[in-house]
Amino acid sequence: MGSAGATLPWELRISAVAREGTSRVELSDRGAQSNPETGIPEDAALATACRAGDLHAFERLYRLQGARMKNLARNLLGTTSDAEDAVQETFLKVQRSIASFRGQSSFVTWMFRILVNTCHDLRRRRMRRKEVVPEEREEGARPAEPRAPGGHPSLKLALNRAIAQLTRHQRDVFLLYEVEGFRHAEIAEMLEISESASKNTLFQAKRNLRQVLEAPRSSQAGGA
Amino acid sequence: MQITCKDRERIFLDGSAHEWRGLEFHAASCAECAEEVRAWKALSAAAEELRDYQESPALWPRIATALAQQAEQSVMGKSWLERLAFWRRAPMVWQAALAGALALLMAVTAGYLYLQSGPGKGDPNSPLLKDRTLAQVERSERDYVKAIDKLAAEAKPQLDLPASPLMASYNEKLIMLDSAIDELRMQAGQNPSNAHLRYQLLAMYQGKKVTLQDVLETKR
Repeated sequence: MGSAGATLPWELRISAVAREGTSRVELSDRGAQSNPETGIPEDAALATACRAGDLHAFERLYRLQGARMKNLARNLLGTTSDAEDAVQETFLKVQRSIASFRGQSSFVTWMFRILVNTCHDLRRRRMRRKEVVPEEREEGARPAEPRAPGGHPSLKLALNRAIAQLTRHQRDVFLLYEVEGFRHAEIAEMLEISESASKNTLFQAKRNLRQVLEAPRSSQAGGA
Repeated sequence: MQITCKDRERIFLDGSAHEWRGLEFHAASCAECAEEVRAWKALSAAAEELRDYQESPALWPRIATALAQQAEQSVMGKSWLERLAFWRRAPMVWQAALAGALALLMAVTAGYLYLQSGPGKGDPNSPLLKDRTLAQVERSERDYVKAIDKLAAEAKPQLDLPASPLMASYNEKLIMLDSAIDELRMQAGQNPSNAHLRYQLLAMYQGKKVTLQDVLETKR
């Protein structure tokens, strides 16, 4: 990836949406704030109902987590279509293996671990079949995805390209923490790493992203 | 807490809320740290651009159909092993008890089958059969010898002082039989499972018994 593909320096473009004091790192209790719907009682009740084969429980789970699952899958796989396939496959895997869930982690964390693995499996499968086109072409050929209201298209594109340059673990941790709002403890369970490894990986991911996103400005400055 | 430029990276990595406040206070008077903190926070803010939680109305019906199909297939195609999967959720004590009971049942069944239809019943050359039959033969033989010894004791007065040539002849015959019996018993002691020796010994005892009966008949 040669440049972030944006004409404006990334910091100028995001400065309009950057909210002071909202950095996730600053908030020690942000887990409770970010996931008010996934409290333990609901989580355990959902797990029990899903284990009993209750389809309404799966629907409730989808209503609570489906959008977030699809968003994570889309950021990992690149397209909404693949993301929906991954979410469906994850629900089927949860139904198949719910008997093996013993509650060591939260049910939602366990499900997101399945989702992340499913996304990586899908990605690998596509790579094997050579269905994946190079990133540059894929970005260019990708049909316009529905965006969040107020989103900046070129910033999103630049960020997507920068994230694509991260290692797999850095990408997972960055998306789970910064985009989906999981805590390091939850991410550690999902990715089967330690909490400090999750913090370290996020730190490295943000440093790398900064380098990639700052590159155009540096090259512009050098060229001037 | 006194925060300096040196603390910046550590706070980015794993700083507490208190440390972040200290860093921001320091950044107010440090242009380099101010720039770094702003860029660091800007990344988190930029990440929000990747958050798009719009509904896909067709997705849940699709997933629900797939889940229902899978549940149906699972019920239809459940193997007996899968049906036993509920034991995996049972407490360890119950699992151990079930395993123990199954092991005991298998051991008892195996033992029963071995005794009922195993080699002990059907194979005539089995060592178990030999030992048991030999013991039975020897027990019968001892009883038989005891009975004959009783006859010999009754006939002893006539044989010790033979009153007639016939009685003397019986006496000689009995001495010969006793001699043959002693020899056969010695051979049988060396080869206890030799059935031929046992038959010969039996024939000698029968001969002795008949002779003693004749002696007692002559007395009457």
